[in-house]
Amino acid sequence: MIGRAVANEFAKMRGLRVAAVAGTLIACTAGLSLLTAVTAPAFADPAGERSWEPLLASMALAVPLASPVLLAVLASRQVDIEHRGGGWLLSQTSGITPGRLCRIKFAALGCVVSAATALQSLLLIGAGVLLGVAAPVPVGAWAGYTASVAVVNLVLLALHVLVSARVDNQLVGLGLGVLGSVLAATATGLPPWLAHTFPWGYYALATAADYRDGALVMLAPDHSAVAALGAAGAALFLLATALFDRRED
Amino acid sequence: MPDIVTTDRLAKRYREHPVVHDLDLRIPEGCVYGFLGPNGSGKSTTMKMLLGLVRPSSGEIRIGGRPMRRSTRRELLGGIGSLIETPPGYGHLTGRENMRLVQRLLGLGDGQVARAVRTVRLQDHLDKKVRAYSLGMKQRLGIAMALAREPRLLILDEPTNGLDPAGIEEIRGLLRRLAGDGVTVMVSSHLLGEIDRTATVLGILGGGRLLFQGTRAELFARSAPDVLIDTPDPAYAHSLLSGGFESRLDGTSVRLAGLDDRATAKAVAHLVGAGVDVHGVRRGERSLEDVFMDLTGGGGL
Repeated sequence: MIGRAVANEFAKMRGLRVAAVAGTLIACTAGLSLLTAVTAPAFADPAGERSWEPLLASMALAVPLASPVLLAVLASRQVDIEHRGGGWLLSQTSGITPGRLCRIKFAALGCVVSAATALQSLLLIGAGVLLGVAAPVPVGAWAGYTASVAVVNLVLLALHVLVSARVDNQLVGLGLGVLGSVLAATATGLPPWLAHTFPWGYYALATAADYRDGALVMLAPDHSAVAALGAAGAALFLLATALFDRRED
Repeated sequence: MPDIVTTDRLAKRYREHPVVHDLDLRIPEGCVYGFLGPNGSGKSTTMKMLLGLVRPSSGEIRIGGRPMRRSTRRELLGGIGSLIETPPGYGHLTGRENMRLVQRLLGLGDGQVARAVRTVRLQDHLDKKVRAYSLGMKQRLGIAMALAREPRLLILDEPTNGLDPAGIEEIRGLLRRLAGDGVTVMVSSHLLGEIDRTATVLGILGGGRLLFQGTRAELFARSAPDVLIDTPDPAYAHSLLSGGFESRLDGTSVRLAGLDDRATAKAVAHLVGAGVDVHGVRRGERSLEDVFMDLTGGGGL
Protein backbone atom coordinates (compact mmCIF):
# COMPACT_ATOMS: atom_id res chain seq x y z
CA MET A 1 0.00 0.00 0.00
CA ILE A 2 2.88 2.38 0.80
CA GLY A 3 4.30 2.04 -2.72
CA ARG A 4 0.89 2.75 -4.24
CA ALA A 5 0.44 5.75 -1.95
CA VAL A 6 3.84 7.15 -3.00
CA ALA A 7 2.85 6.63 -6.65
CA ASN A 8 -0.32 8.58 -5.88
CA GLU A 9 1.76 11.48 -4.56
CA PHE A 10 3.58 11.63 -7.90
CA ALA A 11 0.18 11.56 -9.65
CA LYS A 12 -1.02 14.44 -7.45
CA MET A 13 2.03 16.47 -8.52
CA ARG A 14 0.44 16.87 -11.95
CA GLY A 15 -0.78 20.42 -12.28
CA LEU A 16 1.02 21.57 -9.12
CA ARG A 17 4.05 22.68 -11.14
CA VAL A 18 6.34 20.64 -8.90
CA ALA A 19 8.63 19.98 -11.85
CA ALA A 20 8.77 23.71 -12.54
CA VAL A 21 9.64 24.51 -8.91
CA ALA A 22 12.29 21.76 -8.87
CA GLY A 23 13.60 23.11 -12.18
CA THR A 24 13.76 26.60 -10.67
CA LEU A 25 15.71 25.20 -7.73
CA ILE A 26 18.23 23.64 -10.12
CA ALA A 27 18.39 26.67 -12.42
CA CYS A 28 18.74 29.16 -9.55
CA THR A 29 21.49 27.31 -7.72
CA ALA A 30 23.42 26.20 -10.81
CA GLY A 31 22.94 29.54 -12.60
CA LEU A 32 23.81 31.70 -9.60
CA SER A 33 26.80 29.49 -8.79
CA LEU A 34 28.08 29.71 -12.34
CA LEU A 35 27.58 33.46 -12.51
CA THR A 36 29.42 33.98 -9.23
CA ALA A 37 32.23 31.62 -10.20
CA VAL A 38 32.98 32.98 -13.66
CA THR A 39 33.21 36.53 -12.34
CA ALA A 40 35.63 35.52 -9.57
CA PRO A 41 39.33 36.34 -10.07
CA ALA A 42 40.16 32.73 -9.06
CA PHE A 43 38.40 31.58 -12.22
CA ALA A 44 40.31 33.92 -14.51
CA ASP A 45 42.16 30.98 -15.97
CA PRO A 46 39.78 27.99 -16.19
CA ALA A 47 42.61 25.74 -17.22
CA GLY A 48 44.30 26.41 -13.86
CA GLU A 49 44.86 23.73 -11.22
CA ARG A 50 42.34 25.19 -8.71
CA SER A 51 39.50 26.14 -11.01
CA TRP A 52 37.00 23.79 -9.35
CA GLU A 53 37.38 25.62 -6.06
CA PRO A 54 35.59 28.84 -7.12
CA LEU A 55 32.77 26.71 -8.48
CA LEU A 56 32.46 24.88 -5.15
CA ALA A 57 32.65 28.15 -3.24
CA SER A 58 29.98 29.74 -5.41
CA MET A 59 27.67 26.79 -4.74
CA ALA A 60 28.08 27.43 -1.04
CA LEU A 61 26.67 30.91 -1.70
CA ALA A 62 23.86 29.99 -4.10
CA VAL A 63 22.48 26.86 -2.44
CA PRO A 64 21.63 28.43 0.95
CA LEU A 65 20.09 31.44 -0.78
CA ALA A 66 17.75 29.57 -3.11
CA SER A 67 17.00 26.23 -1.44
CA PRO A 68 15.04 27.13 1.73
CA VAL A 69 12.36 29.15 -0.06
CA LEU A 70 11.93 26.66 -2.89
CA LEU A 71 11.76 23.73 -0.44
CA ALA A 72 9.01 25.59 1.40
CA VAL A 73 7.13 26.10 -1.87
CA LEU A 74 7.45 22.41 -2.82
CA ALA A 75 6.20 21.17 0.56
CA SER A 76 3.43 23.73 0.72
CA ARG A 77 2.02 22.85 -2.71
CA GLN A 78 2.04 19.13 -2.02
CA VAL A 79 0.44 19.43 1.42
CA ASP A 80 -2.03 22.26 0.83
CA ILE A 81 -4.01 20.10 -1.63
CA GLU A 82 -4.92 17.83 1.29
CA HIS A 83 -6.33 20.77 3.27
CA ARG A 84 -8.32 22.06 0.31
CA GLY A 85 -9.43 18.69 -1.10
CA GLY A 86 -10.46 16.90 2.09
CA GLY A 87 -7.55 14.57 1.45
CA TRP A 88 -6.66 13.90 5.10
CA LEU A 89 -10.03 12.27 5.78
CA LEU A 90 -10.09 10.52 2.41
CA SER A 91 -6.73 8.95 3.20
CA GLN A 92 -7.71 8.09 6.75
CA THR A 93 -10.81 6.25 5.58
CA SER A 94 -8.57 4.35 3.16
CA GLY A 95 -6.30 3.28 6.03
CA ILE A 96 -3.58 5.92 5.72
CA THR A 97 -3.29 8.02 8.85
CA PRO A 98 -2.29 11.72 8.64
CA GLY A 99 1.19 11.02 10.00
CA ARG A 100 1.72 8.25 7.50
CA LEU A 101 0.49 10.50 4.70
CA CYS A 102 3.12 13.08 5.76
CA ARG A 103 5.81 10.40 5.60
CA ILE A 104 4.58 9.32 2.16
CA LYS A 105 4.64 12.92 0.95
CA PHE A 106 8.15 13.31 2.31
CA ALA A 107 9.24 10.15 0.46
CA ALA A 108 7.83 11.39 -2.87
CA LEU A 109 9.11 14.96 -2.49
CA GLY A 110 12.39 13.65 -1.10
CA CYS A 111 13.01 11.83 -4.39
CA VAL A 112 12.42 15.08 -6.29
CA VAL A 113 14.63 17.12 -3.96
CA SER A 114 17.44 14.54 -3.92
CA ALA A 115 17.38 14.32 -7.71
CA ALA A 116 17.38 18.13 -8.02
CA THR A 117 20.30 18.43 -5.58
CA ALA A 118 22.33 15.86 -7.50
CA LEU A 119 21.41 17.43 -10.82
CA GLN A 120 22.45 20.94 -9.79
CA SER A 121 25.88 19.60 -8.82
CA LEU A 122 26.23 17.61 -12.05
CA LEU A 123 25.13 20.63 -14.08
CA LEU A 124 27.81 22.75 -12.51
CA ILE A 125 30.46 20.10 -13.15
CA GLY A 126 29.26 19.91 -16.76
CA ALA A 127 29.42 23.70 -17.05
CA GLY A 128 32.96 23.68 -15.62
CA VAL A 129 34.08 21.12 -18.18
CA LEU A 130 32.44 23.11 -20.98
CA LEU A 131 34.18 26.28 -19.79
CA GLY A 132 37.51 24.51 -20.09
CA VAL A 133 38.37 23.46 -16.54
CA ALA A 134 41.10 20.94 -17.22
CA ALA A 135 41.94 19.81 -13.67
CA PRO A 136 40.39 16.56 -12.48
CA VAL A 137 37.12 16.98 -10.61
CA PRO A 138 37.71 16.80 -6.83
CA VAL A 139 35.18 14.01 -6.59
CA GLY A 140 35.48 13.54 -2.83
CA ALA A 141 34.90 17.20 -1.97
CA TRP A 142 32.17 17.57 -4.55
CA ALA A 143 30.32 14.39 -3.58
CA GLY A 144 30.68 15.22 0.11
CA TYR A 145 29.26 18.69 -0.38
CA THR A 146 26.41 17.42 -2.56
CA ALA A 147 25.52 14.68 -0.08
CA SER A 148 25.60 17.12 2.84
CA VAL A 149 23.39 19.60 0.99
CA ALA A 150 20.99 16.77 0.17
CA VAL A 151 20.77 15.86 3.88
CA VAL A 152 20.16 19.47 4.93
CA ASN A 153 17.59 19.88 2.14
CA LEU A 154 15.77 16.73 3.24
CA VAL A 155 15.71 17.83 6.88
CA LEU A 156 14.28 21.21 5.87
CA LEU A 157 11.81 19.51 3.54
CA ALA A 158 10.60 17.35 6.44
CA LEU A 159 10.23 20.46 8.60
CA HIS A 160 8.18 22.20 5.91
CA VAL A 161 5.96 19.15 5.35
CA LEU A 162 5.17 19.19 9.08
CA VAL A 163 4.55 22.94 9.20
CA SER A 164 2.35 22.87 6.09
CA ALA A 165 0.37 19.93 7.46
CA ARG A 166 -0.07 21.45 10.92
CA VAL A 167 -0.89 25.02 9.86
CA ASP A 168 -3.59 25.46 7.22
CA ASN A 169 -2.36 28.93 6.27
CA GLN A 170 0.47 28.18 3.87
CA LEU A 171 1.91 31.67 4.23
CA VAL A 172 3.35 30.53 7.56
CA GLY A 173 5.45 27.84 5.86
CA LEU A 174 6.50 30.16 3.06
CA GLY A 175 7.45 32.86 5.58
CA LEU A 176 9.55 30.31 7.41
CA GLY A 177 11.27 29.50 4.11
CA VAL A 178 12.15 33.16 3.52
CA LEU A 179 13.44 33.47 7.07
CA GLY A 180 15.44 30.28 6.48
CA SER A 181 17.07 31.76 3.40
CA VAL A 182 18.17 34.81 5.37
CA LEU A 183 19.50 32.65 8.21
CA ALA A 184 21.27 30.29 5.81
CA ALA A 185 22.88 33.14 3.91
CA THR A 186 24.17 34.77 7.08
CA ALA A 187 25.29 31.52 8.72
CA THR A 188 28.62 31.47 6.88
CA GLY A 189 29.63 34.55 8.87
CA LEU A 190 28.61 33.04 12.21
CA PRO A 191 30.80 31.07 14.60
CA PRO A 192 30.38 27.32 13.87
CA TRP A 193 28.86 26.63 17.32
CA LEU A 194 26.07 29.08 16.49
CA ALA A 195 25.51 27.59 13.04
CA HIS A 196 24.93 24.23 14.75
CA THR A 197 21.90 25.57 16.60
CA PHE A 198 19.47 25.91 13.68
CA PRO A 199 19.01 23.63 10.64
CA TRP A 200 19.71 26.31 8.04
CA GLY A 201 23.12 26.84 9.60
CA TYR A 202 24.20 23.39 8.44
CA TYR A 203 24.56 24.64 4.85
CA ALA A 204 27.47 26.69 6.16
CA LEU A 205 28.92 23.70 8.05
CA ALA A 206 28.87 21.67 4.81
CA THR A 207 30.79 24.29 2.84
CA ALA A 208 33.79 22.74 1.04
CA ALA A 209 35.43 25.90 -0.28
CA ASP A 210 35.14 29.54 0.69
CA TYR A 211 36.95 32.84 0.80
CA ARG A 212 38.93 33.58 3.96
CA ASP A 213 40.52 37.04 4.23
CA GLY A 214 40.06 37.47 0.49
CA ALA A 215 41.75 34.17 -0.40
CA LEU A 216 39.97 31.11 -1.73
CA VAL A 217 40.65 28.09 0.48
CA MET A 218 39.43 24.53 0.70
CA LEU A 219 37.72 23.78 4.03
CA ALA A 220 37.15 20.67 6.07
CA PRO A 221 33.36 20.40 6.10
CA ASP A 222 31.75 19.10 9.27
CA HIS A 223 30.08 16.08 7.66
CA SER A 224 29.56 14.38 11.02
CA ALA A 225 27.49 17.36 12.21
CA VAL A 226 25.39 17.14 9.06
CA ALA A 227 24.95 13.39 9.60
CA ALA A 228 23.88 14.09 13.19
CA LEU A 229 21.39 16.65 11.89
CA GLY A 230 20.04 14.03 9.49
CA ALA A 231 19.66 11.46 12.27
CA ALA A 232 18.03 13.93 14.65
CA GLY A 233 15.78 15.23 11.86
CA ALA A 234 14.67 11.70 10.98
CA ALA A 235 13.91 10.87 14.61
CA LEU A 236 11.99 14.10 15.19
CA PHE A 237 10.05 13.69 11.94
CA LEU A 238 9.02 10.16 12.89
CA LEU A 239 8.03 11.34 16.35
CA ALA A 240 6.06 14.33 15.05
CA THR A 241 4.22 12.27 12.44
CA ALA A 242 3.41 9.64 15.06
CA LEU A 243 1.92 12.43 17.19
CA PHE A 244 -0.16 13.56 14.19
CA ASP A 245 -1.79 10.14 14.23
CA ARG A 246 -2.88 10.67 17.81
CA ARG A 247 -4.44 14.07 17.17
CA GLU A 248 -8.19 14.37 17.06
CA ASP A 249 -9.66 17.54 15.56
CA MET B 1 -31.98 -9.31 9.92
CA PRO B 2 -28.57 -9.20 11.70
CA ASP B 3 -27.10 -5.85 12.75
CA ILE B 4 -24.11 -4.74 10.70
CA VAL B 5 -23.22 -2.00 13.20
CA THR B 6 -23.66 -2.26 16.94
CA THR B 7 -22.30 -0.02 19.64
CA ASP B 8 -22.40 -0.65 23.36
CA ARG B 9 -22.37 2.29 25.75
CA LEU B 10 -20.28 4.25 23.25
CA ALA B 11 -19.13 7.57 24.66
CA LYS B 12 -16.78 10.39 23.75
CA ARG B 13 -15.52 13.19 25.93
CA TYR B 14 -13.16 15.99 24.95
CA ARG B 15 -11.40 16.83 28.20
CA GLU B 16 -14.32 17.22 30.61
CA HIS B 17 -16.83 18.02 27.87
CA PRO B 18 -19.01 15.01 26.99
CA VAL B 19 -20.08 14.90 23.34
CA VAL B 20 -21.63 11.44 23.07
CA HIS B 21 -23.15 9.49 25.97
CA ASP B 22 -23.69 5.74 26.23
CA LEU B 23 -24.85 5.17 22.68
CA ASP B 24 -26.32 1.76 21.86
CA LEU B 25 -26.74 1.83 18.09
CA ARG B 26 -28.24 -1.10 16.23
CA ILE B 27 -28.09 -0.78 12.44
CA PRO B 28 -29.72 -3.70 10.63
CA GLU B 29 -27.99 -4.98 7.51
CA GLY B 30 -29.45 -3.72 4.23
CA CYS B 31 -31.38 -0.77 5.67
CA VAL B 32 -31.11 2.96 5.16
CA TYR B 33 -30.45 4.20 8.68
CA GLY B 34 -31.41 7.84 9.10
CA PHE B 35 -29.23 9.35 11.80
CA LEU B 36 -30.98 12.49 12.89
CA GLY B 37 -30.26 15.23 15.33
CA PRO B 38 -29.81 18.97 15.64
CA ASN B 39 -26.44 20.50 14.79
CA GLY B 40 -23.95 19.75 17.55
CA SER B 41 -25.84 16.71 18.82
CA GLY B 42 -22.86 14.39 18.25
CA LYS B 43 -23.74 12.82 14.90
CA SER B 44 -20.42 13.53 13.16
CA THR B 45 -18.41 12.48 16.21
CA THR B 46 -20.35 9.21 16.34
CA MET B 47 -19.77 8.57 12.65
CA LYS B 48 -16.07 9.33 13.03
CA MET B 49 -15.89 6.85 15.89
CA LEU B 50 -17.58 4.21 13.73
CA LEU B 51 -14.88 4.81 11.12
CA GLY B 52 -12.08 4.64 13.67
CA LEU B 53 -11.14 8.28 13.02
CA VAL B 54 -11.88 9.29 16.60
CA ARG B 55 -11.09 7.12 19.60
CA PRO B 56 -14.06 6.43 21.86
CA SER B 57 -13.61 7.45 25.50
CA SER B 58 -15.49 4.29 26.47
CA GLY B 59 -17.73 1.64 25.00
CA GLU B 60 -17.34 -0.68 22.07
CA ILE B 61 -18.07 -0.63 18.35
CA ARG B 62 -18.68 -3.75 16.28
CA ILE B 63 -18.83 -3.70 12.50
CA GLY B 64 -20.10 -6.92 10.97
CA GLY B 65 -19.60 -8.57 14.34
CA ARG B 66 -15.93 -7.58 14.62
CA PRO B 67 -14.67 -4.97 17.07
CA MET B 68 -13.41 -1.73 15.54
CA ARG B 69 -9.97 -1.25 17.05
CA ARG B 70 -6.65 0.19 15.98
CA SER B 71 -5.53 -3.32 15.01
CA THR B 72 -8.65 -4.11 12.94
CA ARG B 73 -9.35 -0.62 11.61
CA ARG B 74 -7.59 -0.86 8.26
CA GLU B 75 -9.16 -4.21 7.40
CA LEU B 76 -12.65 -3.13 8.45
CA LEU B 77 -12.36 0.16 6.55
CA GLY B 78 -11.88 -1.90 3.39
CA GLY B 79 -15.58 -2.74 3.60
CA ILE B 80 -16.84 0.69 4.59
CA GLY B 81 -17.34 3.60 2.23
CA SER B 82 -17.75 7.02 3.75
CA LEU B 83 -18.27 10.67 3.10
CA ILE B 84 -17.55 12.78 6.17
CA GLU B 85 -17.70 16.58 6.38
CA THR B 86 -16.88 18.13 2.99
CA PRO B 87 -16.78 15.94 -0.13
CA PRO B 88 -13.19 14.97 -0.99
CA GLY B 89 -11.59 15.76 -4.34
CA TYR B 90 -8.37 17.34 -5.53
CA GLY B 91 -9.46 20.45 -7.45
CA HIS B 92 -6.40 20.58 -9.71
CA LEU B 93 -7.10 17.07 -11.03
CA THR B 94 -9.98 15.80 -13.15
CA GLY B 95 -12.70 13.55 -11.79
CA ARG B 96 -11.10 10.63 -13.62
CA GLU B 97 -7.68 11.36 -12.07
CA ASN B 98 -9.27 11.56 -8.63
CA MET B 99 -10.96 8.20 -9.15
CA ARG B 100 -7.66 6.76 -10.34
CA LEU B 101 -6.01 7.83 -7.05
CA VAL B 102 -8.60 5.87 -5.10
CA GLN B 103 -8.30 2.94 -7.51
CA ARG B 104 -4.51 2.79 -7.15
CA LEU B 105 -4.52 3.24 -3.38
CA LEU B 106 -7.05 0.48 -2.76
CA GLY B 107 -5.92 -1.77 -5.62
CA LEU B 108 -9.35 -1.73 -7.29
CA GLY B 109 -10.24 -2.95 -10.75
CA ASP B 110 -11.41 -0.79 -13.66
CA GLY B 111 -14.85 -2.39 -13.45
CA GLN B 112 -15.32 -1.37 -9.81
CA VAL B 113 -14.48 2.25 -10.58
CA ALA B 114 -16.68 2.31 -13.69
CA ARG B 115 -19.65 0.88 -11.73
CA ALA B 116 -19.23 3.44 -8.95
CA VAL B 117 -19.08 6.30 -11.44
CA ARG B 118 -22.16 5.02 -13.28
CA THR B 119 -24.05 4.63 -10.00
CA VAL B 120 -23.69 8.34 -9.27
CA ARG B 121 -24.17 9.21 -12.97
CA LEU B 122 -20.91 11.11 -13.26
CA GLN B 123 -19.51 9.32 -16.31
CA ASP B 124 -20.01 12.32 -18.60
CA HIS B 125 -18.10 14.74 -16.36
CA LEU B 126 -14.97 12.76 -15.55
CA ASP B 127 -12.64 14.79 -17.74
CA LYS B 128 -13.49 18.08 -16.08
CA LYS B 129 -11.23 19.50 -13.37
CA VAL B 130 -12.90 19.01 -9.98
CA ARG B 131 -12.52 22.70 -9.19
CA ALA B 132 -15.06 23.30 -12.00
CA TYR B 133 -17.60 20.88 -10.47
CA SER B 134 -20.80 22.10 -8.85
CA LEU B 135 -21.34 21.15 -5.19
CA GLY B 136 -23.73 18.40 -6.27
CA MET B 137 -21.15 16.94 -8.63
CA LYS B 138 -18.51 17.09 -5.88
CA GLN B 139 -20.89 15.20 -3.56
CA ARG B 140 -21.47 12.59 -6.26
CA LEU B 141 -17.72 12.25 -6.87
CA GLY B 142 -17.20 11.80 -3.11
CA ILE B 143 -19.88 9.11 -3.05
CA ALA B 144 -18.33 7.43 -6.12
CA MET B 145 -14.97 7.38 -4.29
CA ALA B 146 -16.72 5.78 -1.32
CA LEU B 147 -18.58 3.28 -3.50
CA ALA B 148 -15.62 2.20 -5.64
CA ARG B 149 -14.49 -0.31 -3.01
CA GLU B 150 -17.98 -1.89 -3.21
CA PRO B 151 -18.63 -1.50 0.51
CA ARG B 152 -21.15 -3.40 2.58
CA LEU B 153 -21.67 -0.29 4.66
CA LEU B 154 -21.80 3.29 3.47
CA ILE B 155 -21.58 6.12 6.02
CA LEU B 156 -22.64 9.53 4.72
CA ASP B 157 -22.49 12.63 6.90
CA GLU B 158 -25.06 15.18 5.76
CA PRO B 159 -24.64 14.39 2.04
CA THR B 160 -27.43 16.78 1.06
CA ASN B 161 -25.89 19.80 2.80
CA GLY B 162 -25.92 22.79 0.49
CA LEU B 163 -27.67 20.97 -2.36
CA ASP B 164 -30.66 22.38 -4.23
CA PRO B 165 -33.96 20.43 -4.17
CA ALA B 166 -33.07 18.57 -7.38
CA GLY B 167 -29.71 17.57 -5.91
CA ILE B 168 -31.36 16.41 -2.68
CA GLU B 169 -33.86 14.30 -4.63
CA GLU B 170 -31.01 12.82 -6.65
CA ILE B 171 -29.16 11.76 -3.48
CA ARG B 172 -32.39 10.28 -2.08
CA GLY B 173 -32.85 8.24 -5.24
CA LEU B 174 -29.24 7.11 -5.04
CA LEU B 175 -29.63 5.96 -1.43
CA ARG B 176 -32.74 3.97 -2.34
CA ARG B 177 -30.92 2.31 -5.27
CA LEU B 178 -27.95 1.43 -3.07
CA ALA B 179 -30.18 -0.09 -0.40
CA GLY B 180 -31.92 -2.02 -3.17
CA ASP B 181 -28.51 -3.42 -4.13
CA GLY B 182 -27.95 -4.63 -0.56
CA VAL B 183 -25.67 -1.85 0.72
CA THR B 184 -26.40 -0.72 4.26
CA VAL B 185 -26.49 3.07 4.28
CA MET B 186 -26.13 5.20 7.38
CA VAL B 187 -26.98 8.78 6.52
CA SER B 188 -27.05 11.72 8.89
CA SER B 189 -29.03 14.90 8.67
CA HIS B 190 -30.28 17.66 10.90
CA LEU B 191 -33.41 17.93 8.75
CA LEU B 192 -35.91 15.13 9.12
CA GLY B 193 -37.66 15.93 5.84
CA GLU B 194 -34.48 15.21 3.89
CA ILE B 195 -34.32 11.54 4.82
CA ASP B 196 -37.78 10.83 6.22
CA ARG B 197 -38.98 9.03 3.10
CA THR B 198 -35.66 7.34 2.39
CA ALA B 199 -34.74 5.89 5.77
CA THR B 200 -36.22 2.59 6.86
CA VAL B 201 -34.81 2.87 10.37
CA LEU B 202 -34.31 6.08 12.31
CA GLY B 203 -31.92 6.95 15.10
CA ILE B 204 -32.48 10.31 16.77
CA LEU B 205 -29.71 11.94 18.72
CA GLY B 206 -30.09 14.92 21.05
CA GLY B 207 -27.39 16.33 23.30
CA GLY B 208 -25.21 13.32 22.55
CA ARG B 209 -27.86 10.82 23.71
CA LEU B 210 -29.87 8.41 21.60
CA LEU B 211 -33.44 9.61 22.10
CA PHE B 212 -35.05 7.11 19.79
CA GLN B 213 -34.13 4.19 17.57
CA GLY B 214 -36.57 2.22 15.49
CA THR B 215 -38.89 2.37 12.50
CA ARG B 216 -40.92 5.37 11.45
CA ALA B 217 -44.10 3.66 12.70
CA GLU B 218 -42.51 3.01 16.09
CA LEU B 219 -41.51 6.64 16.31
CA PHE B 220 -45.11 7.73 15.72
CA ALA B 221 -46.44 5.24 18.22
CA ARG B 222 -44.05 6.50 20.88
CA SER B 223 -45.34 10.02 20.90
CA ALA B 224 -49.09 10.39 21.59
CA PRO B 225 -50.73 12.97 19.29
CA ASP B 226 -52.37 16.07 20.81
CA VAL B 227 -56.00 15.93 21.96
CA LEU B 228 -58.38 18.42 20.29
CA ILE B 229 -61.57 19.36 22.14
CA ASP B 230 -64.26 21.06 20.05
CA THR B 231 -66.39 23.43 22.05
CA PRO B 232 -68.51 26.52 21.25
CA ASP B 233 -66.45 28.60 23.71
CA PRO B 234 -62.82 27.54 23.27
CA ALA B 235 -61.41 30.61 25.03
CA TYR B 236 -63.31 29.82 28.24
CA ALA B 237 -62.42 26.13 27.95
CA HIS B 238 -58.74 27.07 27.51
CA SER B 239 -58.86 29.31 30.61
CA LEU B 240 -60.29 26.42 32.61
CA LEU B 241 -57.77 23.88 31.39
CA SER B 242 -54.56 25.89 31.24
CA GLY B 243 -54.02 25.58 34.98
CA GLY B 244 -53.74 21.81 34.97
CA PHE B 245 -52.89 20.89 31.40
CA GLU B 246 -50.59 21.99 28.55
CA SER B 247 -53.35 23.78 26.68
CA ARG B 248 -53.50 26.20 23.75
CA LEU B 249 -56.15 27.54 21.43
CA ASP B 250 -56.30 26.02 17.95
CA GLY B 251 -59.05 27.73 15.90
CA THR B 252 -62.40 26.62 17.31
CA SER B 253 -60.75 23.90 19.42
CA VAL B 254 -58.56 23.62 22.45
CA ARG B 255 -55.36 21.62 21.82
CA LEU B 256 -53.96 19.63 24.76
CA ALA B 257 -50.50 18.10 24.49
CA GLY B 258 -49.07 15.00 26.14
CA LEU B 259 -52.35 13.45 27.35
CA ASP B 260 -52.99 9.74 27.62
CA ASP B 261 -56.55 8.39 27.60
CA ARG B 262 -57.05 8.72 31.38
CA ALA B 263 -55.87 12.34 31.38
CA THR B 264 -58.11 13.06 28.39
CA ALA B 265 -61.15 11.77 30.30
CA LYS B 266 -60.18 13.93 33.26
CA ALA B 267 -59.93 17.06 31.08
CA VAL B 268 -63.32 16.41 29.50
CA ALA B 269 -64.90 15.76 32.92
CA HIS B 270 -63.42 19.04 34.17
CA LEU B 271 -64.99 20.97 31.29
CA VAL B 272 -68.38 19.25 31.61
CA GLY B 273 -68.32 19.83 35.35
CA ALA B 274 -67.79 23.55 34.70
CA GLY B 275 -70.80 23.63 32.37
CA VAL B 276 -68.83 23.82 29.11
CA ASP B 277 -70.45 22.09 26.13
CA VAL B 278 -68.13 19.52 24.57
CA HIS B 279 -69.02 18.78 20.96
CA GLY B 280 -66.15 16.53 20.09
CA VAL B 281 -62.91 14.99 21.36
CA ARG B 282 -60.34 13.62 18.92
CA ARG B 283 -56.63 12.97 18.48
CA GLY B 284 -54.90 15.40 16.14
CA GLU B 285 -52.66 14.57 13.20
CA ARG B 286 -48.93 14.80 13.97
CA SER B 287 -46.24 15.16 11.42
CA LEU B 288 -43.03 13.26 11.91
CA GLU B 289 -41.35 16.64 12.16
CA ASP B 290 -43.46 17.42 15.26
CA VAL B 291 -42.43 14.14 16.85
CA PHE B 292 -38.80 14.84 16.04
CA MET B 293 -39.08 18.33 17.50
CA ASP B 294 -40.61 16.90 20.66
CA LEU B 295 -37.84 14.38 21.07
CA THR B 296 -35.01 16.79 20.43
CA GLY B 297 -36.58 19.68 22.25
CA GLY B 298 -36.60 21.59 18.98
CA GLY B 299 -32.93 22.41 19.31
CA GLY B 300 -31.20 23.76 16.28
CA LEU B 301 -33.92 22.99 13.76
